[in-house]
Amino acid sequence: MSKTFLNSEGYKVIEQWMNSEGNVPFKFQMQTWSKFHNGYSGMVIAPTGFGKTFSVFLAVVIDYLNHPKKYKKGLKLLWVSPLRSLAKDLAKAMAEAIERIGLDWEIAVRNGDTSQLIRRQQERSMPDVLIITPETLHVLFSQKNNSRWFKSLACIAIDEWHELIGNKRGVLVELAVAHLLRISQKARVWGITATIGNLDQASKVLIPYPKLKTIIIKAKETKKIKVIPVLPDKVEVLPWAGHLGKNMVSKILPIIHENNTTLIFTNTRGQSELWYQIILEADPDLAGLLAIHHGSIDKKLRNWIEDSIADGNLKAVVCTSSLDLGVDFKPVDCVIQIGSAKGISRFMQRAGRSGHSPYEVSKIYIVPTHSLELVEASALKEAVKLHRVEARQPMVLTYDVMVQFMVTLAVGEGFKSNELLKLLRQTHAFNMLTDEEFAWAIQFITQGGNTLKSYEEFHKVFKDHNDIYRVKSRRISMLHRMNIGTIVSDAMLRVKFMSGGYIGMIEEFFISKLKPNDSFVLAGRVLELIHIKDMTAYVKISKSKKAITPSWMGGRLPLTSYMSHFLRKKLSDALSPGIRERELRFLHPLISRQNKDSHIPKVNEFLVEKINTKDGFHVFMYPFEGRLVHEVISALIAYRISKIKPLTFTIAMNDYGFELLSDQEIPINNTNIKETLSKENLMSDVIASINAAEMASRKFRDIAVISGLVVQSTPGTNKNNKSLQSSSGLIFRVLEDNEPNNLLLRQAYTEVFDQQLEEVRLKEAFERINLSKLIIKESNAFTPLSFPIKVDSLRQSLSSEKLDKRIQRIQAEVYKTNQ
Amino acid sequence: MNYVEKHISLEGEDLILNNLRAIFWPNENVLIASDLHIGKTAHFRKHGIPISSNVQNKDLERLSFLVDHYNTKKIIIVGDLFHAEENSDLGLFKDWRSKYSDLIIILIKGNHDRLKSEFYNKLNIIHYNDYLNVYPFKFIHEPKKVSNEFLISGHIHPGIIIKSKGRPRIKLPCFKVSNSQLILPAFSEFTGLAISENNETSICYAFTETSFFQF
Repeated sequence: MSKTFLNSEGYKVIEQWMNSEGNVPFKFQMQTWSKFHNGYSGMVIAPTGFGKTFSVFLAVVIDYLNHPKKYKKGLKLLWVSPLRSLAKDLAKAMAEAIERIGLDWEIAVRNGDTSQLIRRQQERSMPDVLIITPETLHVLFSQKNNSRWFKSLACIAIDEWHELIGNKRGVLVELAVAHLLRISQKARVWGITATIGNLDQASKVLIPYPKLKTIIIKAKETKKIKVIPVLPDKVEVLPWAGHLGKNMVSKILPIIHENNTTLIFTNTRGQSELWYQIILEADPDLAGLLAIHHGSIDKKLRNWIEDSIADGNLKAVVCTSSLDLGVDFKPVDCVIQIGSAKGISRFMQRAGRSGHSPYEVSKIYIVPTHSLELVEASALKEAVKLHRVEARQPMVLTYDVMVQFMVTLAVGEGFKSNELLKLLRQTHAFNMLTDEEFAWAIQFITQGGNTLKSYEEFHKVFKDHNDIYRVKSRRISMLHRMNIGTIVSDAMLRVKFMSGGYIGMIEEFFISKLKPNDSFVLAGRVLELIHIKDMTAYVKISKSKKAITPSWMGGRLPLTSYMSHFLRKKLSDALSPGIRERELRFLHPLISRQNKDSHIPKVNEFLVEKINTKDGFHVFMYPFEGRLVHEVISALIAYRISKIKPLTFTIAMNDYGFELLSDQEIPINNTNIKETLSKENLMSDVIASINAAEMASRKFRDIAVISGLVVQSTPGTNKNNKSLQSSSGLIFRVLEDNEPNNLLLRQAYTEVFDQQLEEVRLKEAFERINLSKLIIKESNAFTPLSFPIKVDSLRQSLSSEKLDKRIQRIQAEVYKTNQ
Repeated sequence: MNYVEKHISLEGEDLILNNLRAIFWPNENVLIASDLHIGKTAHFRKHGIPISSNVQNKDLERLSFLVDHYNTKKIIIVGDLFHAEENSDLGLFKDWRSKYSDLIIILIKGNHDRLKSEFYNKLNIIHYNDYLNVYPFKFIHEPKKVSNEFLISGHIHPGIIIKSKGRPRIKLPCFKVSNSQLILPAFSEFTGLAISENNETSICYAFTETSFFQF
């Protein structure tokens, strides 16, 4: 640590203040302050609860105390945080510190919830510190004369960078940083992130500027996590997904009662509604002490729940990823994860919601929904022990975000094309942008398309006589400002009582399938639909016992590739579990049955099961790559088999493997299996086996909204835009017919390959399979591994009562043939 | 231009459904269409959403083909002929109108038809605000749940969805017919579909580029 820093006036003030409160700075905080003092930018990596906010925030304060003359009136620190919910508490903490230190800085928040009045006040006189979301920051760029607000910036801080880097919001941040650095020459850039697999890259993506001295500061402190798998009473040899659920509630109740406040994480909103009901039924005394929290519940109600958690008024909250992040709730001392967490970093993040204070242990219970998930529990334990966390890949060449940004600038102060191109190429996202691509974008926002004649009256952006690109129309400016951002939600309807009062939001897709008088569950209540009007579903409390739990779209989280790696390893270990692997020993009857009837695949093996039943001929394969990747692989294998012999397949899958079912013998054997699973012609076969245009059309939805091709309808906002309503599918078709070279179309296909088909991961999976020993086992009955997949496929086609009977029958049959 | 026809009989009248999104009524020698939404692409362009005017031109080409093919002298449009304000697409329509200056155009105004009467008069379009009776049918823009008369309407852009076991699902536009009404598909290709649950009381004649399907 530099002496000049330790002797500096600013540091002494902070040290004194901290000592007076009985605090000692963490080493990484000191490092950050000192490096900032010496003019560095950088990235701080620290677990939550260790004061990472104060590392960067106080660095600016110290610098100000040391050089007050260098700072002008106005904005000094811009604090970009992806989470609205965090802003208020953050501002409070900063304001308290400022007051104790004895400064007169003003700390303010600006995001979608900020009132018009406050916004106007801020615009007249900016605070010293502004906490803002990436979207609201871009809205600021779309204001007239906005650069005056940023001229005096000393630091741009990006909080929770790990949450941003893997998605288009991260690209918004990259663009914002580049833009701000052009306005304010002296600003430094600091990122704050939790541990991710690619820290060096994460730092370079945020700060790719050669003119900035950059450092990575990693906290030595780590959060201790205690992982406790909850074992069911007995092991089901044939596990089926979801079956364990209700039986496990008797194990969950004691955990809730033993702890102060428990967060119960489920993976989907539908599951959270179900578990809320199940727990209340099992213990009615929890009424009033148990709450439900997910993205579709009214914001006011969610805020109330969050406040109640913070005040310690709740015993437990059933939630989804809606509570993965955000304010840390001091009373929470226990977390329960129901079902698979699908990824290591998500799991660790959820665990970290308990035992918030530094050095306190985070405690997380894993409640499996079927026996095999105990293997996942074991895999998670190992991953946590080894501190292996997923990497988050930054997005590149997202033309939709680029187009949006260009129009944002044109709405604001305007831009010159050569300067903008230079700025774009400085960022990681658009480093590889070609002249042609940029020219296309300029043409797209000024002329609309290739053939000028077909785009008469399109005048979104003009070039004025000073060669500055601007938007003139007030209406286009207004439409654009409303549209800034990259979070595209499904069309949602408000759910409201006839008697008044909001309950929450629900997807149009779900509610449009209901008829009046149908009942459904939302926010833990059974509601009866009365009618739908003006994007609002009117309901009343239902007397019906039976209700449909909505299946929200996009609820299925993909299994990360790290997670699959650990899963394969643990399954392979399962035959001889270690001393501490209680859950694996518990699973022994299941594992040994799998081994006896079929095989337990070792890490270097790939298992194929051929099973003949009354239903037909099944082939099961187990890549352990997660449902989304299996969707692609199964279609590919079906395609390759049908080249050997034309067959029709029914396909089913879960996170572990997939099933092909046919009414005829499936021609897979030791001689052709290698070819069927070959990595040769992989992508061309994949393309032949899927409907890429259809997939791209679906991907185009977000792109169309982000690039301004589709005007989003949001409940409650003005309905004047009705005449501009169109579906992205329609625009996709129109563009394919008229502008096949449109880069946004190309982006849709690229996103299909990167995200849907996960090209890179798919190739790696086939590399691995090709190096593996391929093992084909035949059986006349379902095996423990294949059974959950079979059940999942039955579930889709049958109502639940019939399903139960059917499963019982299958189970009975299996026992008959095996005994 | 390729097309497919489907003959149906309603209230004792023969009607020819055409997959180019219109109906021909031989006894009256009249073409029936709905929801042309002329001016929609330019309306989008004006608001900064680039939609090519080719889309508009293709709709008009299809209309020309139908008028020529059936050699009809009269066309009834059951609403939403024009999408919004007067814009460059309407210029394309004016050109089209001058080529078909002898054609009698009757419009039953829809919710989008908000241009001034003079505009319709200038283009020689006979327009009704609510409905028009031509025995045995009543031409009207919006369908009604109950009616004593047989209604021919549009407005909702009816469509059906075909679910198969594997994805993707297929969406098709359709003519929707019950005992008391027929709802036309939107003539404009630049329109969405309102997917409705098919009930037993109505038949949907859905179509692709090459065939009709009955549901």
